Amino acid sequence: MIAFIALSLVMIASALFTVTAKKPVYSVVGLLVNFIALAITYLTLHAEFLAVIQIVVYSGAILILFVFVIALLSSGTKPFEPGPNRMPRVLAPALLFGVIGFVAIAIAISKTVFTPAAIVGATGDANVFGSVADFGTALFTTNLLPFEVTAFVLMVAIIGVVLLAGDEAPGRRAPKRIAREPISPPRERIAP
Amino acid sequence: MQDYPLLLLIWLLPLFGAVLLWAFGPQLKTWAGPIGSALVGVPFIAALTLWGAATTGTGAHQTLFAWLPQFVFGLQLDRISLVWTMIITGVGFLIHVYSIGYMAGEKAFARFFAYLNFFIFAMLTLVLSDNFVGMLVGWGLVGLASYLLIGYYFERPTAVAASKKAFVINVVGDIGILYAVFVIVAKIGAIGYGDVFAHIAKFSPGELFAVCLGLFIGCAAKSAQVPLHTWLPDAMEGPTPVSALIHAATMVTAGVYLIARCAPLWNASSDARVLVGSIGALTALTGAILGCAQWDIKRILAYSTMSQIGYMIMGVGVGAYDAGILHFLTHAFFKAQLFLGAGIIIHNLANQQDVRLMGGLRKKMPFAFAAMTIGVLSICGIPGFSGYFSKDAVLNGTLAHGHPVMWAVGVLTAGLTAYYMFRMLFVTFLGAYRGDVDPSELGLRHPELAGTANPHAADDEHGHGHAHAPAWLMSGPVALLMIPTVLIGWLDFGGESSPWGQFFAPVFGKFEPVAGTLPDGLTGLIVFVLIAAGFTVAYMRYGNPQALLDAIPRLRAETVRMPSALTHAFYFDAAIDALFVKPSIALGGFFSRVIDPHVIDAGVREASISANWLGHLFRSFQTGLVRAYALALAFGAACFAIYYVWIGAGR
Amino acid sequence: MNAPVEAYIIVAAILFFIGVVGVIARRNPLIQLMSIELLFNSANLALVTFARSWANNAGHIFAFLVITVAAAEAAIGLAIVVIVFRKTTFVDVDEVATLKG
Repeated sequence: MIAFIALSLVMIASALFTVTAKKPVYSVVGLLVNFIALAITYLTLHAEFLAVIQIVVYSGAILILFVFVIALLSSGTKPFEPGPNRMPRVLAPALLFGVIGFVAIAIAISKTVFTPAAIVGATGDANVFGSVADFGTALFTTNLLPFEVTAFVLMVAIIGVVLLAGDEAPGRRAPKRIAREPISPPRERIAP
Repeated sequence: MQDYPLLLLIWLLPLFGAVLLWAFGPQLKTWAGPIGSALVGVPFIAALTLWGAATTGTGAHQTLFAWLPQFVFGLQLDRISLVWTMIITGVGFLIHVYSIGYMAGEKAFARFFAYLNFFIFAMLTLVLSDNFVGMLVGWGLVGLASYLLIGYYFERPTAVAASKKAFVINVVGDIGILYAVFVIVAKIGAIGYGDVFAHIAKFSPGELFAVCLGLFIGCAAKSAQVPLHTWLPDAMEGPTPVSALIHAATMVTAGVYLIARCAPLWNASSDARVLVGSIGALTALTGAILGCAQWDIKRILAYSTMSQIGYMIMGVGVGAYDAGILHFLTHAFFKAQLFLGAGIIIHNLANQQDVRLMGGLRKKMPFAFAAMTIGVLSICGIPGFSGYFSKDAVLNGTLAHGHPVMWAVGVLTAGLTAYYMFRMLFVTFLGAYRGDVDPSELGLRHPELAGTANPHAADDEHGHGHAHAPAWLMSGPVALLMIPTVLIGWLDFGGESSPWGQFFAPVFGKFEPVAGTLPDGLTGLIVFVLIAAGFTVAYMRYGNPQALLDAIPRLRAETVRMPSALTHAFYFDAAIDALFVKPSIALGGFFSRVIDPHVIDAGVREASISANWLGHLFRSFQTGLVRAYALALAFGAACFAIYYVWIGAGR
Repeated sequence: MNAPVEAYIIVAAILFFIGVVGVIARRNPLIQLMSIELLFNSANLALVTFARSWANNAGHIFAFLVITVAAAEAAIGLAIVVIVFRKTTFVDVDEVATLKG
């Protein structure tokens, strides 16, 4: 229980930090902490393989990708300087909807009766629930089709990324940049 | 019942003529006249051949179609409609031929004959229908034909106003008939004459009177009875053949036809009889009084028409049906003769209609003088002429049915008729020709309004009118009409055993006079005395040699001293104007100024503005900002969450 | 399990709605993408919790697939950010509003 509470607090705190940090690099670090706490939580839930995958893929690859892109963008002058805020006062409605949704889920959960099943066998044994062997068996037999499709999705993603962003030849003259659009005055109200 | 397809031919040939002349008028040009006349003459001959069939039993029938089991439309030619059909097609044919001469040179020559043929068709629909609804259809079409023909010279604003007036007043009458038809259908459930008259007992006395009243309102409007008579003098704006055919011989007698046809209804309601007889007598008197004050030759004849129709209505109203129909018959001939004769005068004087500017035409136009004299003698009821027989029959019939007051009014009117008809005759034909006199010397204040009906009169170089058409086209029909004008009254010689009485005995039955009436000889003598008195007064004022010498100052004096009640026709027009026309115009103006822009247009504008506003509202959602769309997604998710908690979680 | 199932789900819900607010309230697209990663992870937590609750492998498989797809999506999202940066000198989702109207 203590472990759970501690981990939960870390997760929530780091999530908040991610969302509210000023610089993107800070956000990446916050997210990293979040992912690690999440991985440890998976361990408490008998999902060892997934915990490792979480760290390896998410923190190890995706976050690094984020860092690379931040580095790429930081090569420009003041890239992250925010322009005029075209949606001021948006925080209140967003928080409201979030709270409503959260309350709804809480109520729904509280009305459901859960009886957790027992796990047979010690953690770490082969073929026990959550082990690599168990996971592998399920992945390559029952869920083979989703596995192949996911592979296809990844391939499409790679091709897409290359097509989208990978074509700038060095030495070309700088392209014409689009300036910021000024905020237009509010449209005249039409009397109903 | 045997069908007579010849009735269809009689009925539809004029319609075919109307459509043909409408469609191909410009191509047919002067052929329109003979074609139109032929297409009216053939039905006349066809109706003659059906004489035998029409006078046996209930006449010749032709079913058209059955709209509902109880509503069967058809044509019938029985004794009453036979008389009317003969007049419509016969006199109509003569007037068509006359019009070929009268309207020669008109720009829209064919249009005139198309309208005339259409009128013949409409009138035949009215008299040949064997049911109320068919008759009502003919009634309305006749009103339309009248509108078209009165407004024939549509470039003339007074003609347009007169045609509108005639049509609107006719519509008022249509409403009365419509109401009566509704009551009939509601009570009896059928529209055929035979079916309705067989079940008269189903009406209560109040309903029967209501039906008769409704029908009579229609008759009053169509036959120009007081107070719906104001359109008839103005209807003289139409060409003279139109006045002769429609507003003398046929259309205005539609009311008489209706009452004669619905004789069983009137036989059953004595209140209706009193009403109709009274109005008829009142109209006869009013028309005669007003006729004494007119200076336009066509208006004199118009008011005399109104007065004579008053006689007819009085006759059929009190129950003397064959007397009323006989007067219709004789009136058709002598009034048509009078109008056509007046038309010859007008045509030859380049559309001059004011009698004050005539005079001395006895030597200039002897044939017209002869025709008009014969017509006047007939209308006054001089013994021996046809008008004498019919007028006497009406007056005696009124007295025999027990209405002495109406009889007295009728007798008085006979005297007045003699006065104003001879006045017209003397002022127009005797003395010296006054056409070259300065109009103001005769008291005319607006000489340019002195009765030019034809807007093309100004571009007439030779002041003798259009002398292109052969004169026999115009004088031939008039000469032909002289014969029945004199002689046809002799059909009634002999009272009940006369040919006329026997002709209608199967329809109207025998009749016992009310006790206490004067003998026929005495009444005839009283009437003759009054006619002689009227003639004498007219002679003293206008006809004696001294009066003829002083014609100009006498006419001026009379013009100046005419009471304004007479010149304004007893203020009927002013009253109708104040009571109905001005409030209607005010109401229309109110709607046009206030309701239309501020209520209706505002509503439409509001609809468009709301649509506009709604569009702007939805457009404001399309910001293009990703975050806004994300917010919308979150909102949708929250809604779903609420739904599933409140509604779905229960399951 | 260290805590009842409801607790894990509540935590996942909290993480989810932090992510939603992050997507709406931040203008930097990179931060928005990271918030989206938070959303994925909260879903994964829920999946794994239920997998443990019913001792069913399917939850793990599904979470695995979610991670894969999240990776692909993050890659493409970052590629789009790079392209936008090439066209404009700034990185602000509010400026990329050409769907306006």
